[in-house]
Amino acid sequence: MSELDQLVEGAIALDKWPLARLVRLFEDTRPGAVAEKAAAIAALEAHGAAPRAMVAGFTGTPGSGKSTLVGQLAARLAAREAAAAVAVLAIDPSSHRSGGSILGDRTRVHFPVGERRLFFRSQPSDRELGGMGRATYPVVRLLERLFDYVFVETVGIGQSEVEIERLADRVYLVLQPLGGDQVQFMKAGIMEVPHAFILNKCDVGAAARRSYHALRASIDFARPGEAAPPPIFRTSAISGEGLDDVLDDLAAHRSVRDAAGRQAR
Amino acid sequence: MTSPTDPGQAPPQRLPHRLYDADGNPTTDRPWIFRTYAGHSSAAASNALYRKNLAAGQTGLSVAFDLPTQTGYSSDHPLALPEVGKVGVPINTIDDMHQLFEGIPLAEMNTSMTINATAMWLLALYIGVARERGEDVRKLQGTTQNDIIKEYLARGTYIFPPEASLRLIAEMYEYCLDNLPKWNASNICSYHLQEAGATPAQELAFALANAIGVLDTIRERGAVPPERFPDVVGRISFFVNSGIRFIEEMCKMRAFVELWDEITRDRYGVQDPKQRLFRYGVQVNSLGLTEQQPENNAWRILIEALGVTLSRKARCRALQLPAWNEALSLPRPWDQQWSLRLQQILAYETDLLEYPDIFDGSVVIESKTEELKRQAREEIARIEAMGGIRAAVESGYLKSQLVRSMSERVSKINSGELVIVGVNRWTEGLPSPLLTGEDGGIFKVDEAETRRTLEALAAVKANRDPARVQAALAALEEAARTGKNMMEPSIECALARVTTGEWADTLRRVFGEYRPPTGVEGQRLYVDSDRVAEVRRRAEEFVRRTGHRPRIVVGKPGLDGHSNGAEVIAVAARHCGFDVVYSGIRLTPEEIVQSAIEEAADVIGLSILSGSHLDLTRQVIEGLRAAGAGDAIPVIVGGIIPKDDHEALRALGARQIFTPADFDLADVMSRIMDVVEAQAGAGAR
Repeated sequence: MSELDQLVEGAIALDKWPLARLVRLFEDTRPGAVAEKAAAIAALEAHGAAPRAMVAGFTGTPGSGKSTLVGQLAARLAAREAAAAVAVLAIDPSSHRSGGSILGDRTRVHFPVGERRLFFRSQPSDRELGGMGRATYPVVRLLERLFDYVFVETVGIGQSEVEIERLADRVYLVLQPLGGDQVQFMKAGIMEVPHAFILNKCDVGAAARRSYHALRASIDFARPGEAAPPPIFRTSAISGEGLDDVLDDLAAHRSVRDAAGRQAR
Repeated sequence: MTSPTDPGQAPPQRLPHRLYDADGNPTTDRPWIFRTYAGHSSAAASNALYRKNLAAGQTGLSVAFDLPTQTGYSSDHPLALPEVGKVGVPINTIDDMHQLFEGIPLAEMNTSMTINATAMWLLALYIGVARERGEDVRKLQGTTQNDIIKEYLARGTYIFPPEASLRLIAEMYEYCLDNLPKWNASNICSYHLQEAGATPAQELAFALANAIGVLDTIRERGAVPPERFPDVVGRISFFVNSGIRFIEEMCKMRAFVELWDEITRDRYGVQDPKQRLFRYGVQVNSLGLTEQQPENNAWRILIEALGVTLSRKARCRALQLPAWNEALSLPRPWDQQWSLRLQQILAYETDLLEYPDIFDGSVVIESKTEELKRQAREEIARIEAMGGIRAAVESGYLKSQLVRSMSERVSKINSGELVIVGVNRWTEGLPSPLLTGEDGGIFKVDEAETRRTLEALAAVKANRDPARVQAALAALEEAARTGKNMMEPSIECALARVTTGEWADTLRRVFGEYRPPTGVEGQRLYVDSDRVAEVRRRAEEFVRRTGHRPRIVVGKPGLDGHSNGAEVIAVAARHCGFDVVYSGIRLTPEEIVQSAIEEAADVIGLSILSGSHLDLTRQVIEGLRAAGAGDAIPVIVGGIIPKDDHEALRALGARQIFTPADFDLADVMSRIMDVVEAQAGAGAR
């Protein structure tokens, strides 16, 4: 058996080391890697590993508690659905000067050691504008053949929401309660893309309630005339509040998608 | 000499250079409390050490606990086992505490405990011992360090989230106010902030903002009646660092004294000047102690001791000196004795204690002090504007400020702008005869002591009353959930022979565990040289050749939380073009292995300062093999690693070893790049 076949078989079994090396192949954006990636896709097809994952994008400003939230959602999902395998791809910005990066999202995610159904991978944005790197798209195309859910976490600074829309079945914008008024939500200019909003850190109390109403008003203003206004979920990573609501939303849209047949993206 | 109260005599002339007591009689000052930070191996071994130190003229105790005790694990927990007795004494139950203080009357001792997240528990054990011995609990004197903010920022032995942690601290103040009136429930620490890179102005500002945070919390809780609040303010004490820039450090101490007087008067309305005193203890700086030419550290320690004793107005209440060889290993008893002798010479041989403040009226000192005060006030205002110390911790602001200051310091050492004798100047020296003794000048923990600790723990568990244990833990949990003060339930836990792990686990269930921001994201390093450019060029070449950027996983296995070294490496690696997966502190070897595997890392950098490097490195390398990665991911190790252990580490499979002597970051990164390139040459994707 060729090395590539071994990697593919190991990855399908969710064995972490071959899986991680296969991800590395899909991160390789050199023209020379194209043929090898195609071979890997062919091998995956041959083993019946077709694209199947529900891909959810989580974007939001730094400090909104995205990483912790995404980690908890993934762990909770794996606990709720005994057969579900969940991959998290967390993207951090690269330095424009050195090309290097600090991939710090792992600090806030603690998956049980040895659990094959949970896989976490960091990825640098690789000097790309927006929240995603050149390798994000190919890696998601790989992971969606191996997992039932793929969560992509990006830093939201305006551009990336548009990119992530192309990539994900459902996009969540994660916000933290603000002290101020709706203008602060508007300023971000990222209100139009997400399918749903998550107001995180809702353990903060009064600030969270105020922010909820300000956000509601902002959405109505930014997206007039929408038949069904997008939901706003209130979550807390400390108490676990609202996490199941987000997962229910995800599951509901997965059923809708599966019923309609896989949409072309 | 004529008594000034004699009738019929002319009033005596007061000389400005003399000290006079309340009655006008000439006097001299009493010395500060002499302490040595000590504890290791087991309760019995530490007790023997304390009795020896007290006999040698030490006047107070400073207890060092091991990392499991500090982070709320009993010695038999898997995470605890490699660390038992390494950096301090393991305390599992009240019987260990009895053993630790055997033959030492608690009511007559002044005991300082370096304990934070589990401070309430250790104080409960101390009180429990006093009660069981029939000693007067109200007479207990001493300090529990109990400063959680600096744990989040620098030291790393936190457990619970900020709100719960501040509640524990506040409840100890509330309890001590009436029950242990001479106990300092907490000690606001700026010591560790300086170790983490804080400038003097940052040290002032962060520590004072921290004290404000504690006092505001207590005031808002409303458990202390307003008329008693000044008593709480009066119990706030500080633990400060003294660095090598000793004139500036002395001015920093004067600035502390004046700013604290101001804050307690203006913010809290304290009338009694005694309750506005800045009471502080000092550990002189260990960060500046060098592995190279370690004998030079003796002079550094002396100079730093002067910084906190020369100015009477800003003289410390208690002083701990490190030992000359702390950059090499934990000190031996003789090394600690040498440092104690320094204090005794300073206090008893010199004329230091005969004078009033010798810097009053100095234009230079006053101007420097004013400048520090101004900078500190500005920084305090910034923190207040963010919502206070807690918000500034949670947002990562404080940590990122510290990591930046540290990066700047390291950059200056690398460029030679900051001179460190024996490190980046005058590096050629004769071999030190101090290091050629039988033990190589370093201390090693006797592994057999760990077995004794575990046996003692098993014996207590077998012989206690399980019903009383269950009831005590249930009462603790109930208090934690309902907001009742947890001190008495903790004391009952102590008396019931609950273990450290059981106490902490109960509160973990209620409060959860917390991971603060790491502060390394978005940091820059100011080291630019041809050698850095060369490493970057090699990184780019690596990308071209392999299709991915060199990727390093940096992690601290075990319970040791001193993360500065790991953070500097993380920032430096990014600066040199690496993708850095920084997973923070207190990780199990299994977690680090999983990170490296999932990330398909090119190299793992372990940072270990606790002395457990052999065990932990072995576990990581074996874990990689068990996960099917074989030796495909090379492991490098950095930390306080004695020369004697280098060979054993290499035999285990460590590809590079870095110690405090490796301060040149371009060189460190270049050697890491060597390892990465060699591995890429050896294996496929």
